[in-house]
Amino acid sequence: MSSLRTEGLTKSFGGVRAVDDVTVELRDGAINGLIGPNGSGKTTFFNIVTGMVRPDAGRVRYRERDITRYSPHRVAHAGIGRTFQLCRVFPRLTVLENMLVAVRRTRLRELLAGLRDTGEIERARHWLRRMGIEHLEEAEARDLSYGQQKLLELAAVLMAEPDLVLLDEPAGGVNPALIDRIVGLVRDLNAEGRTFLVVEHNMDMVMGMCDHVIVFDRGAPIAEGPPDSVRQDPRVLEAYLGV
Amino acid sequence: MRTVSRGLALLLAALAIAYPWLAPNYYLVYAGALTVMYAAMSTSWNLLGGFTGYVSLGHSAFFGLGAYGTGLLVVRLDVPWAVALPVSALLVTAFAVGIGVAAVRVRGASFVIVSIALVSMMNLVVQGWRSLTGGSTGLQVPSPFPGLHRGETHMVFFYLFLALLGVALLTWRHVSRSRFGAGLRAIREDEDKAESLGVPTGAYKVAAFALSALFVALAGGLYALWFGSLDPIFVFSILIGSYMVLMSLLGGVRHLYGPLLGALIVAPAGEYFLIALGETQIHLTATGLVLVLVVLFMPDGILARFTRRRAGPSIPDESADQRLQGVAG
Repeated sequence: MSSLRTEGLTKSFGGVRAVDDVTVELRDGAINGLIGPNGSGKTTFFNIVTGMVRPDAGRVRYRERDITRYSPHRVAHAGIGRTFQLCRVFPRLTVLENMLVAVRRTRLRELLAGLRDTGEIERARHWLRRMGIEHLEEAEARDLSYGQQKLLELAAVLMAEPDLVLLDEPAGGVNPALIDRIVGLVRDLNAEGRTFLVVEHNMDMVMGMCDHVIVFDRGAPIAEGPPDSVRQDPRVLEAYLGV
Repeated sequence: MRTVSRGLALLLAALAIAYPWLAPNYYLVYAGALTVMYAAMSTSWNLLGGFTGYVSLGHSAFFGLGAYGTGLLVVRLDVPWAVALPVSALLVTAFAVGIGVAAVRVRGASFVIVSIALVSMMNLVVQGWRSLTGGSTGLQVPSPFPGLHRGETHMVFFYLFLALLGVALLTWRHVSRSRFGAGLRAIREDEDKAESLGVPTGAYKVAAFALSALFVALAGGLYALWFGSLDPIFVFSILIGSYMVLMSLLGGVRHLYGPLLGALIVAPAGEYFLIALGETQIHLTATGLVLVLVVLFMPDGILARFTRRRAGPSIPDESADQRLQGVAG
């Protein structure tokens, strides 16, 4: 079964075709990479898939369901979680509160139940422990370092139990030790059955971590395949190096 | 710390209950009832404003509708006041759901403008619909307690408003401790991010909007029964709406008791200015000036100065990485 599939996805901003007739399919259960030069439409593609931007044309299917017109929270309920390019957490909520915002199913009783729901708090602590930031649960998110906030953002996304996780530049602005840690986490989470789609400029990270890489240029995919073959592809070299 | 604040709350509640008996004259009972009414209304306003950050300057629309709804049910349909009050409040809440669906689509300054437009429209409708509402000459509502003299009526309404305040405070506290409340606060911090985490932000905002309207409408209904005379220009004024905003901001929108504290300061001050300066518009200028000063210099309110943040920026930057190395090694 395919995980996420798009058909003829198109979106223009003014006269610019940010995403141009994109038909791609992610490998289910794999770590998929999405690379391309700046402005090649990667983030717009993310935004369309997650319902934050309406496409002009085309379809998004997830597990055989058409989610093209879904609002972002329904996309999340369908099982797709995402992080943002410049890490977004709720700055004036505590780390634990940040974790308890996520909602996978809307059941009125659960929503009105207290934040003291011990089951949910245990689940939150479990994820915080895996990220190595459980000692910060009482701190306000704005007091965390940038790297800690990135880990918190990922932990909060995982609270919603996504089957597919979209990561927008997970290595951006974090130190090498933390990059290694994030790669390790993504591999572990993937081994547990979660599919990933990672947008990243750090080529070492993409080539070392991904099973399947899709290359975008000027709003459309120009190549895809295993990292080794993509790396040698003349179209990719041309897009990146202009040769 | 928790027992101290609980003790303080109990002490304040006891003081509030004793207040009408301690007040040397009925005027001060009247002023007290007015203050408690504003406290209940600003606490209610804070269910929307404090949690979601959507600043409504038009909440007096729900105050006025609650007042006119109760008054009209009593006067035109001879409904007993104890039935008219909740029925009117529920009708206003249902109306607020409809308004909310449209209003919370816009954020920031646009939402403020929409809320102002709402109260202006309600004012014009009630003034214009003379056959039903009596228009600008107002609506006379008979007292629910004809056997009591004016002073005793003030005492009864003091306790009714106090009960309303208690319910509003309990509601705020319960929402604050629920996941619903965490979602509302997340909307205030970053609405799109909250959506991406699966929070149905539209439904959350409408629910907060309607809940907030409910208690303001109840306050309006009580006001109609208490004053016995409704003037559309007063009950649908921006002033009442701005009072709710000012009180909440002054006391602190992130705190349960913030709006209550603000009301305890602003409402008596307003009464004082009214007496000291007479029936002029100067007290309005004073209100506006205080609102500007609060927004400029104390946007987090008084209580924020007294409550220490649980953890400061003293968390060492590298602690996560050190821990990571600990995990790796």
